[in-house]
Amino acid sequence: MESIVKAKVKIYSTAITAIVLLMLGIIISVSVGIADIDLVMILKSFFEINPSKEQLIIQTLRLPRAIIGALVGANLAVAGALMQAITRNSLASPQVFGVNAGASFFIVTAFALFPSLSSPSLVFSAFIGAAVGGITVYSFASGGGMTHVKLALAGIAVHFLLSSLTQGIIIFSEQAKDVLYWLVGSINGKSWTHVMIILPWSISGLFIALLLSRSISILVLGESTAQGLGQQVNRIRMLAGILVIILAGSSVAVAGPIGFVGLIIPHIVRRLVGGDYKRIIPFSALFGALLLVYADILARFIAYPFESPVGIVTAIIGAPFFLYLAKKGRNIKQ
Amino acid sequence: MKNKQKFMLQRNVHPNLILLVLLIIILILSIISLGLGAIYITPSEIIQNLIGEGTSSQKFILSNYRIPRIIIAIIVGSGLATAGAILQGILRNPLASPDVIGVTKGAGLAAVIIIVLFPASPIIYLPLAAFIGAAIIAVILMLFVYKKGAQPNTLALVGIALGAICQAGIEYFMIKFPDDVSATLLWLTGSLWARGWDQVYILLPCLILIPLLIGLTSKLDILSLGDDIATGLGERSKFLRYILLGVSVVLIGVCVATVGSIGFIGLIAPHIARRIVGSKFKVLLPASALFGAILLLVADSLGRGLFPPIEIPAGIITAVIGAPYFLYLLRSERKKT
Repeated sequence: MESIVKAKVKIYSTAITAIVLLMLGIIISVSVGIADIDLVMILKSFFEINPSKEQLIIQTLRLPRAIIGALVGANLAVAGALMQAITRNSLASPQVFGVNAGASFFIVTAFALFPSLSSPSLVFSAFIGAAVGGITVYSFASGGGMTHVKLALAGIAVHFLLSSLTQGIIIFSEQAKDVLYWLVGSINGKSWTHVMIILPWSISGLFIALLLSRSISILVLGESTAQGLGQQVNRIRMLAGILVIILAGSSVAVAGPIGFVGLIIPHIVRRLVGGDYKRIIPFSALFGALLLVYADILARFIAYPFESPVGIVTAIIGAPFFLYLAKKGRNIKQ
Repeated sequence: MKNKQKFMLQRNVHPNLILLVLLIIILILSIISLGLGAIYITPSEIIQNLIGEGTSSQKFILSNYRIPRIIIAIIVGSGLATAGAILQGILRNPLASPDVIGVTKGAGLAAVIIIVLFPASPIIYLPLAAFIGAAIIAVILMLFVYKKGAQPNTLALVGIALGAICQAGIEYFMIKFPDDVSATLLWLTGSLWARGWDQVYILLPCLILIPLLIGLTSKLDILSLGDDIATGLGERSKFLRYILLGVSVVLIGVCVATVGSIGFIGLIAPHIARRIVGSKFKVLLPASALFGAILLLVADSLGRGLFPPIEIPAGIITAVIGAPYFLYLLRSERKKT
């Protein structure tokens, strides 16, 4: 009894710490940058009707940026958690699976072919691309036991192919610089329109993922066990796959292919709160948001005052982590 | 294995004959390729030009632009393929290749740093830097892998992670210095566009490696039997491995420095060669080199010839051909085990 209480206390305290840190992160994210803004000003700016210059910066630039960071981070982390559950492979994540590369390729193509296309409809091309990339890698890596190496190699091959096609399109189109910045993964310069694009997908996706979490916990036990417990395995897998496409696709459409968030976060979360997906999914969302908000803050200082894309920061943190996971073992220890 | 025998021709045909046929194919491809581009020149006109007759404008195009380009395609293609074949031999992993293990990306990062940070530096620094970048990645790889007892699988994963870090670095520099973005991007995709005699002169010293490689082929055969047997046969296998790795890193560094990171040639050329001439390095190495040259020639010609005057970078074409082939290999690997 006591240990259950202890575990509960631990989880609640983790949750509270994470939320406090996230709040703090958002406040820091709003206040630091080329124009430093103090706390009072930030609070004031929320209620000001005739904003000053600083308040205008907050309202139109910094706040949407922080919110997008949190949303994209949450999306990617949950997408990663779902993928690791479906494939039962600890390296699975939107980036390794070619989902990000597929979405970017389709967005860049759509952008090059139909420059007048509005951002909301770009999201749909991201969905198609995410599905194409993910399914290709899955079909080549699965079967006969999806080992790390097979997944990683199939992923990297599809990634090479899609990214060189993307680069080709960029070389031939004129807006190379804008697209390139987006292509590295960045949440810099986003506005409320972008928040509005990602928000509905994010909320519905995360909500359905939460509803699905119980079935996913059972799915992770193995196909036969899940079937024995009365789960419709394939339907749940399919549903989770669609969620991955929605979550990762909408993130890429707004912020570009930010790597490694979906890989790292589920592992950290699993270590903190255990293997139950009822907890893993909400905590992944929380920690994913946390990681991206802080990574974005860090990105502003790497080459201050130049704003580096946040995707570079996540890659530098994430690649060693990938190594660590790859060396550690073959399957998730549930 | 039985299935593989069908593809091997070496029982019926003398390997030298195969090599000769490949050489002739390269020659024919070169002549066709010389004609392709914004201004089309027919093969007969090309031959006329080569023997000293022909219009001066054609002569100008050929001798200043297309001939050096063909030479570069042949040298780089065979260099990358040779490096890939050596890597596959010493690591005893059929999926090893310069791009998969991240060495290409290391060379790329070093070269991008030179391009954007020291644009005024003499042209010879570029291959030097690329070589150093490739070597650093190779050394890190070796450190990681040797600790673990040279598991080929670990190598691929370590390589992918290192590649991701280098990629992040490359992207950082591209974003930080957006003025050079078109140049770096074209370079990263890998293209022979605007390569001329200057680059040929950088590549030529590589030819010194040929006699060295011929000397090493028999050692490669012994190494591929495994370290224990090789040591039993009186070879200093670790030392040999480092020498061979060094040779392939030099090749990769110089090739990447000249044309950028053209992918998949180092992977698929040795595979095709192995299917046709078998796995004895004495024949496999030259055959891989020739196939590599053919692949890059074809990729470059397609890039120039498909939609003139627009040129598709050769790296895109090799990726489009190479990635599906790689996935297919991955699949057949699985069936074997």
